[in-house]
Amino acid sequence: MTGTSKEETVVPDVVLDITHEVCPMTFVHTKLKLEEMRAGQVLEVLLSGGEPLQNVPRSVKYEGHKVLKLEPVGDNKYKLLIERGSD
Amino acid sequence: MVLAVDLHELKKGGFLQQRGKDKYLMRLRTIAGDITSEQLRALADLADRYGQGYVHLTTRQGMEITGVDLHRYLDIKADMTRLGLLPGTCGPRIRTVVACPGSTICLQGLVDTKEMAAELDRAFFGRAVPGKTKMGISGCPNACAKPQENDIGWLGVIEPKHHPDRCNGCGICAEVCPGNALTMVDGLPVFDASRCLFEGNCIFSCPADAWVINRKGYNLYVGGKIGRYPGLGQLLDTFIPPERVVRSGEAVLSAYTRLQKQNQRMGDVVRSIGIDQFRQVYRDELERFTGGRKEVTGA
Repeated sequence: MTGTSKEETVVPDVVLDITHEVCPMTFVHTKLKLEEMRAGQVLEVLLSGGEPLQNVPRSVKYEGHKVLKLEPVGDNKYKLLIERGSD
Repeated sequence: MVLAVDLHELKKGGFLQQRGKDKYLMRLRTIAGDITSEQLRALADLADRYGQGYVHLTTRQGMEITGVDLHRYLDIKADMTRLGLLPGTCGPRIRTVVACPGSTICLQGLVDTKEMAAELDRAFFGRAVPGKTKMGISGCPNACAKPQENDIGWLGVIEPKHHPDRCNGCGICAEVCPGNALTMVDGLPVFDASRCLFEGNCIFSCPADAWVINRKGYNLYVGGKIGRYPGLGQLLDTFIPPERVVRSGEAVLSAYTRLQKQNQRMGDVVRSIGIDQFRQVYRDELERFTGGRKEVTGA
């Protein structure tokens, strides 16, 4: 079980860059990647601010996954850590 | 041949004159833009039998069968009634209520716009008013159905509430907030209600369920119109619970009827006296509709 506190370092199992995608493909790629993974594994998504940032975390939660952490990495980009939920 | 109905009656029933001798178009309405496959097939059949083999989609989620001969009005009307197709309207009346798909379909939707559109349609559609009056509903502040472009528009909103005991201080809410209403201070979000869009992104993104729904309802806009002198509707009331939406519409219509001169549109009334004065009269009317009890809403 992965914790959710800010200080903890989580090592992702899979990394995905969606900074060159636009809605709805931002979430589609995230969703497809999560489908390939096992429950409890962690996906790191690199996404842009604005629309992707406003929509991807809520869609991830809606689909039953757990958002562990969101971290600004500069240049209007963010690192989102998601723990894959069970089906 | 002389028809048993006059031309005003035709307009009221959505039968409008078009170019061409004795050519009319039959306007139909939908509830929140939905039409069943069975109705679509029936509509296609009517377009073949009475019209020109096509259906025109209106900007207000209606449909028009064009090129109908004036003398076949009663026949097409009877067919529509038999098939359960709803007539539209025209002139100084309450027009088709426009609505987005809302919470039953859309992932962003906060309120059940389809149910509300049906309720508003039952309460208001076709009612004679001083100037044409359009109503629109959107399920969230994205406002896809453009309620602020209608004489009376309702917009679904939710107000967030924070539970610090559940919060893990991750700051996701502050990052995803489209209105920049949240700032992280000492590991907890600080909420600025004046910047909140009430769309609920903090609630739907919070991994710890620390943000919850405090209130859900409709914000009410009045006086929106496009036409020759366009202007957006202005905020009149906030967080109206679903069961009081029809009542809010009645109060707006009473205020409008009292204040208008020479059949002005709602927007012209609101702009000439100002939203604050309009709100005072709306409040009076609201009180009248609730039997003298004061309404507790936001604005």
